[in-house]
Amino acid sequence: MNGSTPPPPPRNVGSSAFQATDVVKTYDGGKTFANDGITLGVHPGEVYGLLGPNGAGKTTLVKQVIGLLKPTSGSITLGPYDFIEDPDVARQLCSYLPQAQMPIDSFKAHEAITITGAIRGGPPEAVRERTDELIAALELEEWRNTLGTKMSGGVRRLVGFIMTTVWPGRVVILDEPTNDVDPLRRRLMWEQIRKLAHDGVAVFLVTHNVMEAEKSVDRLAIIDQGKLVAEGTPSSLKAEDRQHLRLQLMLSPGTDTPSLPEFVAHDTRVGNNLITVISEDAAATGIAWAQEQMQLGVADEYALGAITLEDVYVRLTGHASAIEVEA
Amino acid sequence: MTAVSLADGIPLPMKRRGVANWVRSYLAMLRWDMTNTRLMIPILAFAQAISGAGLVLGFGLLIPSQPPLVAAYLVTGAAVVTLIMVGAAVGPQLVAQQKMEGSYDFMWSLPVPRSAAAMSWVTLNAIIAVPGMVAALVAGALRFDVSFAITPMVVPAVLITIVSGTLLGYALSHAIPKPEVTLLVSQILIFVIFGFAPIAFPAENLPSWMATTHQYLPFVHMANIIRDSLVDGIATDVAHSYLVLAIWSVVAIAVSAAVLRRRK
Repeated sequence: MNGSTPPPPPRNVGSSAFQATDVVKTYDGGKTFANDGITLGVHPGEVYGLLGPNGAGKTTLVKQVIGLLKPTSGSITLGPYDFIEDPDVARQLCSYLPQAQMPIDSFKAHEAITITGAIRGGPPEAVRERTDELIAALELEEWRNTLGTKMSGGVRRLVGFIMTTVWPGRVVILDEPTNDVDPLRRRLMWEQIRKLAHDGVAVFLVTHNVMEAEKSVDRLAIIDQGKLVAEGTPSSLKAEDRQHLRLQLMLSPGTDTPSLPEFVAHDTRVGNNLITVISEDAAATGIAWAQEQMQLGVADEYALGAITLEDVYVRLTGHASAIEVEA
Repeated sequence: MTAVSLADGIPLPMKRRGVANWVRSYLAMLRWDMTNTRLMIPILAFAQAISGAGLVLGFGLLIPSQPPLVAAYLVTGAAVVTLIMVGAAVGPQLVAQQKMEGSYDFMWSLPVPRSAAAMSWVTLNAIIAVPGMVAALVAGALRFDVSFAITPMVVPAVLITIVSGTLLGYALSHAIPKPEVTLLVSQILIFVIFGFAPIAFPAENLPSWMATTHQYLPFVHMANIIRDSLVDGIATDVAHSYLVLAIWSVVAIAVSAAVLRRRK
């Protein structure tokens, strides 16, 4: 990892919020650290992103919040409630959309939603109303009476989202909620996530889709190898990279990474995609270098653009996010 | 709504607890479990009914004519086997399936008391199991002219058998992390219950060490109390069997509670 910043000081957001403090989770008798001293807090009304590559410890943290795993040390609280001491109250106050698809093969969409609402303690009439409201908001009317076995992955994901939020807890944890969902309904889902936050819910979004998070979260934490490596608003995290640009080269298949000029501050290669960060002063030199690589047959094309959260993420974790891998 | 008030004015709800919450959770989970298995319940219940009746008719092929008491013994034994089989085999298979399809974490993140979820599961197992027992008894009445003297004790006898049997299977399937291993253990259980538990044959037929072991295991006692509630004068020492099963039920509940509350 190059150019890393020291982790920010522990952030305590006060008594009304969801707060994880110095959460450590080890396996193999203390040899493997899945979470290594994670401290973060989410206010009611806030959409908070938890970003990190696969295996960074995101899901491990979430499972400790809802009492499926017990931390080795540290505390997890919501206001006066201690989630580690009392996992029952954690489950009442948190709704969880796991990354795996919901087990609703035998359920019609509206049944899965209303029964989950009842399980979550919602009064029947209110749950029915909210089911109708969310099915309409996400434009799922035509699947209302469809069995889970007949749903596409995206529709099933959306139904899972409604099951989680039909009678939400004070913390709504969404693990990769937009997986498989089409762009139109992704937008509708984000509207609903915003609405939840507006109603005072603390939304905890787990993802490795950095570009989506950049547009949608109020604050975010990046974790890597169990450690929190950065926390802040998307723009504060990009602050260090101001006066820098992203120069991206699509390398010709089968070529090695060319030797990089000195003006390249950071670089990452994913497949044939070489992403470099250069200072604004070096823009002209950078373009000339990129063109030279094309003439040499090393690269097929290049693009110069503003720094995104993606670049910060790549710098901090040494991983490209889902979007880069797909690109 | 009573609430815990906080510094910034956003109230948090009080923790839900108590009997009303338990009953509401149980009913909601039962709705979930019934809907979740509704495509399978008729098939499973039918399969149980077929195997219950099949066992009885199979005995008839082995030994075509039997003294009335032996016939009653075999028929009630078949009924008990089908009853136990669901808790020991079908239940663990359903849990293993949940783990394999990745839905286990979601189910365990739901805000219901673990005991309410477990009781919903027991209820579901009872719905699947009872048709098999009834089918075995009907087949027995038709094929061997067994005359039953069914007493009200059939209700507690069946209940205690299903609760302890199902919860033991349930605890086992939750305690074993790998679903493949759960399936294997469940297969072994079926083998042991079918072949080596003195349910449809007297314990004296077994090697003495095995017969002694069975005095402490629940299967022979389950058979004894159910038999006692169905046929006159066929069972002995019923109070002792109830005592052993009461202990097993407490063990099953305690083990289930420990397993279900455990966090890794």
